[in-house]
Amino acid sequence: MNELIPLMVIIPIACGLLLNLLHKKDTAIKILAIVVAIVLPIIPLLSNYGLHYFGGHAPLIENPILLETLPSQISQSALAIFHPAITYSYESLQKLFIFVLGIVAFFAIFTSLNETKKVSGPYMFLMFMGTAAVTALLLSNDIFHMYIFFEIAALCQVGIILVSSTKENYETALKYMILGSIGGPLLLLGIGFILGAVGSVNISDIIYAINQNLVNPFSQTFLIGFGLILFGWLYASGLPPFHTIKSSIYSKALPHSAALLQSFTVVTFIAMGLVIFRIFSYLPFLKVIILVFSLIAMILGVTMAIIQTDIRRILGFLAVGELGYIGIGLGIGTTLSITAGLFQAVNEILITALLFIGFGTVFYLTNSSDTKKLGGLITQNPKIAIMVLLGGFAMAGVPPFNGFQSKLMIIESALKAGFPEISIIAVLVSIVTFMVFMKAFYSVYLKPKPQDLSIVNENIPKSTILSIAVLLIICLIIGLFPQLVTDNISPFVAGLI
Amino acid sequence: MIDIVIDTQLASLFTSAAFIIVGLFAAIFLDNIIKKIIGIAFIEEGANLFIVTLGYKPGGIVPIFLPGMDAEWFALNSAYPLPHALVLTSIVIGASTLAVMLAIAIVLYKKHGTLSTSEILGDK
Amino acid sequence: MVVNSFKEVKMKVAKDSTTNESVSSVLAAELTLISTLLIAAIMLRHFNIVLAIVVILGLVLFFTTNMPLMPKIKREQDDSLEKMVFYAVLTLGTLITIIYWGLN
Repeated sequence: MNELIPLMVIIPIACGLLLNLLHKKDTAIKILAIVVAIVLPIIPLLSNYGLHYFGGHAPLIENPILLETLPSQISQSALAIFHPAITYSYESLQKLFIFVLGIVAFFAIFTSLNETKKVSGPYMFLMFMGTAAVTALLLSNDIFHMYIFFEIAALCQVGIILVSSTKENYETALKYMILGSIGGPLLLLGIGFILGAVGSVNISDIIYAINQNLVNPFSQTFLIGFGLILFGWLYASGLPPFHTIKSSIYSKALPHSAALLQSFTVVTFIAMGLVIFRIFSYLPFLKVIILVFSLIAMILGVTMAIIQTDIRRILGFLAVGELGYIGIGLGIGTTLSITAGLFQAVNEILITALLFIGFGTVFYLTNSSDTKKLGGLITQNPKIAIMVLLGGFAMAGVPPFNGFQSKLMIIESALKAGFPEISIIAVLVSIVTFMVFMKAFYSVYLKPKPQDLSIVNENIPKSTILSIAVLLIICLIIGLFPQLVTDNISPFVAGLI
Repeated sequence: MIDIVIDTQLASLFTSAAFIIVGLFAAIFLDNIIKKIIGIAFIEEGANLFIVTLGYKPGGIVPIFLPGMDAEWFALNSAYPLPHALVLTSIVIGASTLAVMLAIAIVLYKKHGTLSTSEILGDK
Repeated sequence: MVVNSFKEVKMKVAKDSTTNESVSSVLAAELTLISTLLIAAIMLRHFNIVLAIVVILGLVLFFTTNMPLMPKIKREQDDSLEKMVFYAVLTLGTLITIIYWGLN
């Protein structure tokens, strides 16, 4: 059923708009949000692979009757192959990521409905809208369309921080918007350069034009377009120099929405990174640049995470550092490494969501996330403490969890590609990640409880415990049967190279 | 009077470059939050103007195909419509970004009683 | 009164950066940074071995002369808007310069 492809974007947008209208009708919002959140991961499973042309405008070559009526300059040229419509392409990779995104969105929405006392329609709207925007980013085969949905996703992220009503959230949102307003328009400018050179924004068309030598891909127009798009990608995915603002954004959002925000970031990273890889893979220095930024992200992310004292900030920096692993997978550029990088992306979305929701219970219980003021919470809820510990194992790459499988694949691919240094750094960073996590875990759960620590909420909602447990089980299943995920990735990667 | 004949497209490209540079300057160096936001609007408009300019064709006609037109002549003489269609969307995005930023500015002004970014954000 | 002053002292100790835990974490961060950067510098051998040796020696020299690196890096990475914008623009400038002029 190809008609389901646009519905993956339309349903969450429509639902979000409806929720916004239903403001103050709490039960209606709850029921609608839960139902749509359940539907979200199901649609990609039902849909068939294929292309969807908006407005039904297929390329001219697929419509011979129309093609005959046109002058020969058009019908003989590349214009007959170019895509006139916004095109969505849905393949196994998109299926996998939209499914995972749907799961995380479901748990984020589910826990937020139960943890926040007042159900807020606009808040739900932002979460659904962001999910829709990121889904469109994955599906879109059109760089301009990607820019539009990327900006919508960025606005939703800002909105989610603004609604979170944590301390200094407005200031952080302003900083993010100022930085974003430098990164976003420059990305648009880069897209403009590519549009000027090729005359189309469709990615398949751009690749066709490059392969058929219709344009000179080493011309300065293309190079500067590449530079600007790469910069936009750095901003979109929170690689350095944008890692500080990204981690600060995670720490200002409520924990369950931080779980959703990091999944937005990872998916944006993947979607735009793959587009850059597909278009510009002819440039010999592309892989070097991606590797350099990924290594810096890993090193800075993990070293900054060590010296933080706020658990949400620690998780934010760790999430940024983990992005480096995906980047390394892309940067090495072999089939195995890209598969490993994308596998790591799936795992990171799930594990970081688990940890944000898990450590979020601490914030829910005590209204504080400063490690110096916390301690002894294992007596409060040992079940969650153990599940969070297991989640930390998964993040650091301890078998049998999924993080182990993907990190092993990355290290293996780096060794095979002749970069033993990268594998050493990967192992080192993963050890330090484990150390950072254990330090945070110790100071929150195991350290003697400080006298002045007051418990705001006594009981953690059952839904939160359920979310953490289910996410942990998914991590374990993927860790035991990694081919569930890699089988979906490898056909896409085989088509990529 | 000196007659300077400037190509329309070139002039437009220079204007967009000037917009972006002025906007970047304002967004980075000016302290007043409203001025920063105006600078950001400048960057956005510069990028939009750049894309509009790409669709310009000297002596071109409006890209609307009317009955009775020769398709070949039309294909050779009409302006390129895609950038104009794209820019409309990106203007909307720019406007909404601007609205959110101004809303944040209003809240921060109420909270801190000042428009200076360095005072609001606590940087020295 | 007495209890309040105790609390104040406690707060001051908490803010002071010389508690055991924070010192050990800064040290760990320092070691991680140095080791990973040195290992990353070895990768330059794929371009040019002489360059790699020179860069590694330079890094060693730099590390030994500027030993407590972490406080400096932390100061550069705080949440101040000006520093973030500075690094963003610096990266943009370097990227464009390298791509446009350096690799033609």
